[in-house]
Amino acid sequence: MPEIRVTPLGAGQDVGRSCILVSIAGKNVMLDCGMHMGFSDDVSPPDGRLTCAASSSHFHLDHCGALPYFSEMVGYDGPIYMTHPTQAICPILLEDYRKIAVDKKGEANFFTSQMIKDCMKKVVAVHLHQTVQVDDELEIKAYYAGHVLGAAMFQIKVGSESVVYTGDYNMTPDRHLGAAWIDKCRPNLLITESTYATTIRDSKRCRERDFLKKVHETVERGGKVLIPVFALGRAQELCILLETFWERMNLKVPIYFSTGLTEKANHYYKLFITWTNQKIRKTFVQRNMFEFKHIKAFDRAFCCPWAPSPSTSGGHVVFATPGMLHAGQSLQIFRKWAGNEKNMVIMPGYCVQGTVGHKILSGQRKLEMEGRQVLEVKMQVEYMSFSAHADAKGIMQLVGQAEPESVLLVHGEAKKMEFLKQKIEQEFRVDCYMPANGETVVLPTSPSIPGGISLGLLKREMAQGLLPEAKRPRLLHGTLIMKDSNFRLVSSEQALKELGLAEHQLRFTCRVHLHDTRKEQETAMRVYSHLKSILKDHCVQHLPDGSVTVESILIQAAAPSEDPATKVLLVSWTYQDEELGSYLTSLLKKGLPQAPS
Amino acid sequence: MQGPGFIMDHECARLLPAVCAVLADPRQPVADDTCLEKLLDWFKTVTEAESSLLLLQENPCLVELLSHVPNLQDVSSGVLSFSLRLAGIFAAQEDCFQYLQQVELLPGLFGAAGPLGQAVWAIPTVRSGWIQGLRSLAQHPSALCFLADHGAVDTIFSLQGDASLFVASAAGQLLVHILALSMEGRAEGHTCPQGGDWPMCAQKIVGHIEESLCSTDTPRVTQALNVLTTTFGRCQSLWTEVLWEQLSPLVARLLERDPVPAPHPLMDLLLCVARSPVLSSLDRGPWETAAQALSCLGPTQAGALALGVLKLQLCPQALRTQAFGVLLQPLACVLKATAQAPGLPGLLDGTSEDPAVVDALLSSKSSCAGLLCRTLAHLEELQPLPQRPSPWPQAPLLRAAVTILCLCDGSAAPSSSVGGRLCGTLAGCVRVQRAALDFLGTLSQGTGPQEQVTQVFAILLECLERPDSSPTVLKKAFQATLRWLLSSAGTPSCSGLGPRAALFLPELFPVLQKRLCNPCWEVRDSALEFLTHLSRHWGGQADFRHLLLQSEVPELTRQLLQDPESYVRASAVTAMGELSSRGLHGTLTNPEHPEAQQSLLPEFLHILSADSEGFPRRAVMQVFTEWLRGGHADVARDTERFVATVLQVVSQDLDWEVRAQGLELALVFLGQMLGQPGPHCPYTVALPKAVPASPLAEALGALCRVRLFEFAFRALFDCDRPVAQKSCDLLLFLRDKTTPYSSLWEAGGSPDSASVEAALQRWQAGEQGQPLGDLEPEAMLAALRSIDLEGLRGTLAQGSDHVEKSPQSLLRDMLATVGVLQENQADCY
Repeated sequence: MPEIRVTPLGAGQDVGRSCILVSIAGKNVMLDCGMHMGFSDDVSPPDGRLTCAASSSHFHLDHCGALPYFSEMVGYDGPIYMTHPTQAICPILLEDYRKIAVDKKGEANFFTSQMIKDCMKKVVAVHLHQTVQVDDELEIKAYYAGHVLGAAMFQIKVGSESVVYTGDYNMTPDRHLGAAWIDKCRPNLLITESTYATTIRDSKRCRERDFLKKVHETVERGGKVLIPVFALGRAQELCILLETFWERMNLKVPIYFSTGLTEKANHYYKLFITWTNQKIRKTFVQRNMFEFKHIKAFDRAFCCPWAPSPSTSGGHVVFATPGMLHAGQSLQIFRKWAGNEKNMVIMPGYCVQGTVGHKILSGQRKLEMEGRQVLEVKMQVEYMSFSAHADAKGIMQLVGQAEPESVLLVHGEAKKMEFLKQKIEQEFRVDCYMPANGETVVLPTSPSIPGGISLGLLKREMAQGLLPEAKRPRLLHGTLIMKDSNFRLVSSEQALKELGLAEHQLRFTCRVHLHDTRKEQETAMRVYSHLKSILKDHCVQHLPDGSVTVESILIQAAAPSEDPATKVLLVSWTYQDEELGSYLTSLLKKGLPQAPS
Repeated sequence: MQGPGFIMDHECARLLPAVCAVLADPRQPVADDTCLEKLLDWFKTVTEAESSLLLLQENPCLVELLSHVPNLQDVSSGVLSFSLRLAGIFAAQEDCFQYLQQVELLPGLFGAAGPLGQAVWAIPTVRSGWIQGLRSLAQHPSALCFLADHGAVDTIFSLQGDASLFVASAAGQLLVHILALSMEGRAEGHTCPQGGDWPMCAQKIVGHIEESLCSTDTPRVTQALNVLTTTFGRCQSLWTEVLWEQLSPLVARLLERDPVPAPHPLMDLLLCVARSPVLSSLDRGPWETAAQALSCLGPTQAGALALGVLKLQLCPQALRTQAFGVLLQPLACVLKATAQAPGLPGLLDGTSEDPAVVDALLSSKSSCAGLLCRTLAHLEELQPLPQRPSPWPQAPLLRAAVTILCLCDGSAAPSSSVGGRLCGTLAGCVRVQRAALDFLGTLSQGTGPQEQVTQVFAILLECLERPDSSPTVLKKAFQATLRWLLSSAGTPSCSGLGPRAALFLPELFPVLQKRLCNPCWEVRDSALEFLTHLSRHWGGQADFRHLLLQSEVPELTRQLLQDPESYVRASAVTAMGELSSRGLHGTLTNPEHPEAQQSLLPEFLHILSADSEGFPRRAVMQVFTEWLRGGHADVARDTERFVATVLQVVSQDLDWEVRAQGLELALVFLGQMLGQPGPHCPYTVALPKAVPASPLAEALGALCRVRLFEFAFRALFDCDRPVAQKSCDLLLFLRDKTTPYSSLWEAGGSPDSASVEAALQRWQAGEQGQPLGDLEPEAMLAALRSIDLEGLRGTLAQGSDHVEKSPQSLLRDMLATVGVLQENQADCY
């Protein structure tokens, strides 16, 4: 029985790292290969040889962070599929991640820059809606997912079986991206994220307004705002937000971007302008939204915004990496500014336990630092969620769009999934699964088997003068040959020839009893005349031996010895003329018309 | 979580009751499951260092938690699983186990009254916690009695077939552990009791394995085989002999079934037994069964077993021959199907083809590619091993690799119908191409007839030239070409190019030129990496130099310094650096005067100060360090100026790896000024070799002029730990070098180091401040002596996250999170 098997290794009833194994018609595909930002254990990706393709839905590390490990340390040597923007941005974030990890713990057992590069060389970049042939049977196709630049949903297809994996997606457009979209592809299974399975989120606009208000108030009163971010992604979204606001309000307070990444972001957003939303694309001709006027790359040589020099003593905003305040520059700035209640730190994303970011978000105000120093946090601490996931409504909308035969939930919390599962099952009347990590869901499928048809047979059909009609099915007789794992429909003559078989005739016979006192020859003659008058389009013959033929059907009259008043008609036909044969039989059973005596 | 800071101290003991109260309260969900994992890690560390019993007695909240959680109605599966695992960790010590038994806590967790019979059992996390708890607990004889009393082993049997891979695998591991524990100490004497005399628990497990091996249900067979493999891999005691003797007939019987169930676990088991020194010497050793497996499973399935057998040090020759035959079969078929000249020796001549192999090669593209890739990878692994079969069929293997590449690129002209079909199947098959190129590269380690080597170069050139070659294939082709070029030049001591390379290179350079202009960055980068390696080996070779300088390769490489892709720019920097070290970086106008070539120094300095991405800047620093080390002409012209400029640029870099490499360069300069650091541990040179005072003064003057002190002092307080660490090591080296002479300086009056020390304080506080200005070496040395470098090194060595990772931090975070992160908890990226 053919089947689809799905085993989440990560994201099964959790929101940690995503890694989902799908086996479809014997092809193994790994969907996403993420890492956990705050935790490592020994659950490693499976043996690289098992997989014939891997894909990453977008550049967030919980979806692609373990790729270099999988490809360069475990030894996966096959292709890795991602969209062009993901391919461009992914190595930057991987490099950022490697550097933070090495910064914190040293080189031990971590992938190197060379490994990231070698991994990226295995990437096959795909365009949206482009069907990519992985091998003879397996094909994949990417759909727009919103969420972050380059995020994609992947459809995996073998023959008529298909699975769609959403990765993270967003069904409402935001400031720089459009909404996720998929056609009515009716997959056997839709694997969807369910981060906000029970939430109907407030509009992102409100959160943005809140953010801008807080930043503005702080700089107005001469305070400094620190926004810890990861190199690419949310940082750019917030930059656009601040840039537009600064422009509108005609603010002069400087904004610094500490890692010189604005240039790079600029480059990528220019390059991938088609991936952004309509508004950005439209205005692009007049002004590139990513060419920031107010945001300056911070240069160590000329200015140090957090040094107490006269030029920078007023309010300003700094974007610094890393995003969870756990090492490097953002932490250094935080330590310097933390003591002043005029300042503010805005955490625009989730922070894992153990990081300073997590501590201050949970309300801790006295932090123990190295050497038993205690850092008192007087500055204001704000959290702003900018994560762009589909909410419950969005998820239902996507299920409705794709019309899958069944749904599987990942990347969410068990309790919330349970609720959504029931909702999906009720509303769409499809099965919904939510396996835990390590659990396998097996879906039986009934695949359609493709078969060929011989040209000869088609030509013969055409010769009969019936033109094919696209909308009406037509019955076609032929012989189905199964050879070399292929199915072909050919004419019986060709089948005999190909298989080296002799033809055997199979005839159906039937006896029809007639009340007729005449001699057999006369009865036969009557049958002939009767049929001749009825079957005007058929070739009806009376043979010299007294039998009657209609096409291949043979009719003979005989007189049973026990009852001379009854005649028996022996009707015999081949299976090809079965229809006519049974018609004649039923006709003869009704009796012959009364002959003039 | 390791280290002395992670014990149960007063602060932790103070926080613990509150944390336990949070965990025991279902209304206060723990936001982050990883906290529980970290907490368990910590308890494991604590119980390794001190008595668990004492810990429980001093912290009664723990027992309260463990007795409370299983009785809770709405307990979260995470907390329940955590409690099971925690109880197991405590019960691992026998006295603590007894204590927990006395308070009747364990049956409520692991017995029928526990989660086992409740609805939560359906959650895999809970089952996993139950197994892991028992795994920790099962350390002593009392634990075995507990398991027997509560029928735990039967539950473990059923969990072997669990829906969750993780639970099923852990159940198998636990069975092995229990078996080993119950047999512990039983085989100390010379004789080991036969199976019938084994402890009940062990007999039960063995009986279960026997039953499973006879089962017609393949998953059950797999489970039994996996348990045996783990057992034999982990235990080398005498009782394992008895176990193998008892079970090997059942294992052999599996091979008589058609199809053979669970072939992969079966092969793993046979290899594991063969590798075991105890079992492989038995009368009923694994050899016969392995031979039977090789013939039953055939080349399509038994490749891994064949490779494993060939890797063994001691193994019957007949089996080795059979195994090698299995590995060679697919290539033998390919050679046979494509044989051009009948006289050439093939592989396995005189033996008949395995129909299953032919079928696998011809039935579909994926089965053909799969079989060939596996075979090539196995042979590639075998080739460099000393125990590889001898004689090694180098010539036919080379021919096979070349033939496969020809089939893949469509240039083969097979004569047979099988060959024709192979040609159709393999045409354009990138996967096989890559595997064949890897294998071909490995074969460069052996010799081959001249004609064949020519064919190898021809096919490599073909791969490199083809416009439709995929970037991944090109990368492998470059790697294989490099290996063949280097090996064809003869032994490492022989500096000549070798006739074949000399013939090949003129054809190669135009291809390389083309690849350097490829639209795919992957290809340009691989080509640059290839060029770098080639120049590193042959840069001094006259013929090579001539050919390279005649070509446009140096010019194209130089252009790639402006490539839009940063990876390519970095590789171009490395390649140009290498070429420049050998005077090969520009098209030669006058071969007699390579120094007439334009200097790259300004261009590289520009990249270092202006490139927006880290890779090219890091590459520049690597090149500069090499140049300084090797006395490159551009550097030697004015070394001080070079070092001063580079350090100045680097000190402003935002990438800490560039700054760290700046320190590396500084260290090389220091070595040149003050004497080389030791080769292995540069910073622990006990006593400097006698550097006379006057050259030292000169050297220190130079260090001041290049502002090395300031650079290193600033780096000492860098926000990125590796930079600070490196600088600390450098300054320690410097201090040790100058200590013997410090008295000389001091004799001349106390230097004014106040301004330096003030600057140091500013930098330590995270401020950048003004540069130091020109200061005398004496002031620098005095400042150097005033810093507690050893103390700083100790702090830096701890890792910047040691405070965050401390148990106090964890406990505080868990408490602080309660009720606060409601909004954020579902958040992610």
